[in-house]
Amino acid sequence: MPMTNETRGTSAAPAADEWVTLLCDNTRTGGQGAPPMEAPSRARWQLRLGSSVRSAPVMRDTTLYVNSLAGTLHAINVETGRLKWKFEAPGQIHSTPSLYKNKVLFGCDDGNVYAVNAELGGKSWDVPTKGEVWASPVVRQGVACFGSADGHVYAADADSGKLVWKQQLGGRVYSTAYAAEKNIYVGSGDGQVHSLDQTTGKILWSTPTGNGIDSSPALVRDTLVIGSLDFFVYGLDATTGAVRWKYETGLGISSSPAVSGDVAYIGSKDGFLYALAIKTGELKWKTRAGEVVTSPLVFSEGVVYVQSFGTMALEAATGKVMWRAGLGGSVQGAPVIRERVIYVAGNSGEVYALE
Amino acid sequence: MDRRTFVKRTSLGSAVLFLGGVDALAYDEEVKLPLPPPIDVHEAPLGKRSPLGIPGLYPGRVVEVSDPRSIVRNRVSQPIVGQMLEQGMKELTGESSVRAAWAKFVEPKDVVGIKINPSGAPACCSSPELVREILSAVESVGVPARNIVVYDRFGYEMDIGSYQLLMPPGIRVVGVQGDRLDASGYDANVYCQADFFGEWETRSYMASIVASEVNKIINVPTLKDHSASGVTGCLKNLGYGTFNNVARSHRPPYSFTNPLIGVMCSVEPLRSKSVLNIMDGTRMVWHGGPLTQNQDFIYQAGILMVGTDPVAMDTIELEMIEKKRRDEGAPSVWERNSKSITADGGEFYRDRTKNLFFRQPGHIAAAGKLGLGISDLKQIDHRQVHMG
Repeated sequence: MPMTNETRGTSAAPAADEWVTLLCDNTRTGGQGAPPMEAPSRARWQLRLGSSVRSAPVMRDTTLYVNSLAGTLHAINVETGRLKWKFEAPGQIHSTPSLYKNKVLFGCDDGNVYAVNAELGGKSWDVPTKGEVWASPVVRQGVACFGSADGHVYAADADSGKLVWKQQLGGRVYSTAYAAEKNIYVGSGDGQVHSLDQTTGKILWSTPTGNGIDSSPALVRDTLVIGSLDFFVYGLDATTGAVRWKYETGLGISSSPAVSGDVAYIGSKDGFLYALAIKTGELKWKTRAGEVVTSPLVFSEGVVYVQSFGTMALEAATGKVMWRAGLGGSVQGAPVIRERVIYVAGNSGEVYALE
Repeated sequence: MDRRTFVKRTSLGSAVLFLGGVDALAYDEEVKLPLPPPIDVHEAPLGKRSPLGIPGLYPGRVVEVSDPRSIVRNRVSQPIVGQMLEQGMKELTGESSVRAAWAKFVEPKDVVGIKINPSGAPACCSSPELVREILSAVESVGVPARNIVVYDRFGYEMDIGSYQLLMPPGIRVVGVQGDRLDASGYDANVYCQADFFGEWETRSYMASIVASEVNKIINVPTLKDHSASGVTGCLKNLGYGTFNNVARSHRPPYSFTNPLIGVMCSVEPLRSKSVLNIMDGTRMVWHGGPLTQNQDFIYQAGILMVGTDPVAMDTIELEMIEKKRRDEGAPSVWERNSKSITADGGEFYRDRTKNLFFRQPGHIAAAGKLGLGISDLKQIDHRQVHMG
């Protein structure tokens, strides 16, 4: 699916190689887009990594990039299911990778953000912080932005790794930011949603919620959609931070919304998926997905995908469950879908190509 | 630890096991439950036992603080649980100042572990709001943030509870195991060994964070029923939250959680380092524990319990859960009727009259016989403080 301003979420579209939020853009497809696929019936291949996967894979061309808890970034040839190379980091990895030019970017529990050559697996640069980095780096206008458990948001030159600015917030930052043309939007462990100036890091506005935020926002025109552990999904005025609406779910929200048109799809720890009108917060449908949903949702061509102790697909228009697969048990994962193959990884440390 | 001590501990463990087993059988009218096997304990060398260790400074004393404002619409109020904790600590210690109360348990040079229970997250787990109040109190007596670690065995359960996000910057938050088979975070020299069901691995090892990183442990269990042990409170959160490979102790419908839970809590250095228990009863799981997400079985009780004696606290907890189960029409956790047993996990999570195991709440009294505290209700100094 081509990148449009709508899927990118802003009036000023980012360049093709920019990665503006968790899993690239508001659809959370990792920039893939994809036709809807039928229920998978077999595994084309399966690869055992030997360590749990607590993040989502991403793909470019024929390579799938998967981080594992053992501290390894794996580059996997999707045609053969074989490992092309791996990069060993010194700490556990909970961060979903992002892609920028010829680099794979990710955070590590050793406090560094690493950029690794996407073809060869060698380190390009690293940026140190003073806490573990679970957020995924985002890139806009050549600047990589990411939060750390040390309570700061960092901005670094995405080509060199040179620090541009850092800004202290009031809690740990596990929320992956949304990088708009002039603003960075991000949540914090103290429950605040912040807008920062993209070039200086200055805080432009802060809006409190009732509990911590590890959800990553989606920006749709001038509305910022984000979940909070206070049980609510928020729709905020992106210019002022004013609360336009909020919708209450049954438990806290760690999931990140996926967006299509005027609807945002998001999961809650109460086990339900919710479809909400972006303009008003009105509920379109809710569907039970399992016991707990903490993973980001993925939207593609009228279908919403989610991982929660398995993988499932729902009709975006109605919330009707199209199929479920038992593979892909995960708390932070998301599937990659391309050419009628779905790639999933999860807590068991297995990566599957299902068709 | 030398061979002589090892044998001694093995002998002691076996003797206690027999007592525990006989006690459990006394309740058995309709089924014959197997006796537990001997348990060999291989523990760390220890000099003089700390007076702060289990059962601690106040054997038999349990302070129960209740405030209905502590949980409203399923959200825990940090300011209210903070006030409840202060009141509980003063009542427990007899100190007029909160800081003096905490100073009885921790001092600035300590490395303090906060043992949480995330296993029922997100529906019922140690409330991050309560944990933050405990962190604040520990820091108030001079322990630097870098010397405080919030931990549990399973990192993915902590992920679901969002603990990493919700703790203040500077505090370490650690999941000992990356996944189910990860044994890298355990000390190969400290273990309990027993063959319960012919399992291939008969040892359970102590987490290194307990064996060698922290010198004080504050235990923050939840108020829950448990399908195998009857309740999961102070003892189970310490024992089964410190040693690995513990699920092997129960295989439907039989459970050897009695006496393994108590034996594990008696192993050094866990016993000496565990100085305080703060039970989170803002939510009470009265059926489906420890993992249920079914809100029908989770009561917003609005309670905290504070004490140093885990046996006394779990005895009170057991009474509370038994009462609630009676009120809700569920059978006792001591139920021995085989018709109450189901092999269907889904049925167990939906039906309050069904269980997966013949529960073994006798582990609490068995732990008392190991010297870990007082289980006789008549001897327990149960103090109730009502706030709000």
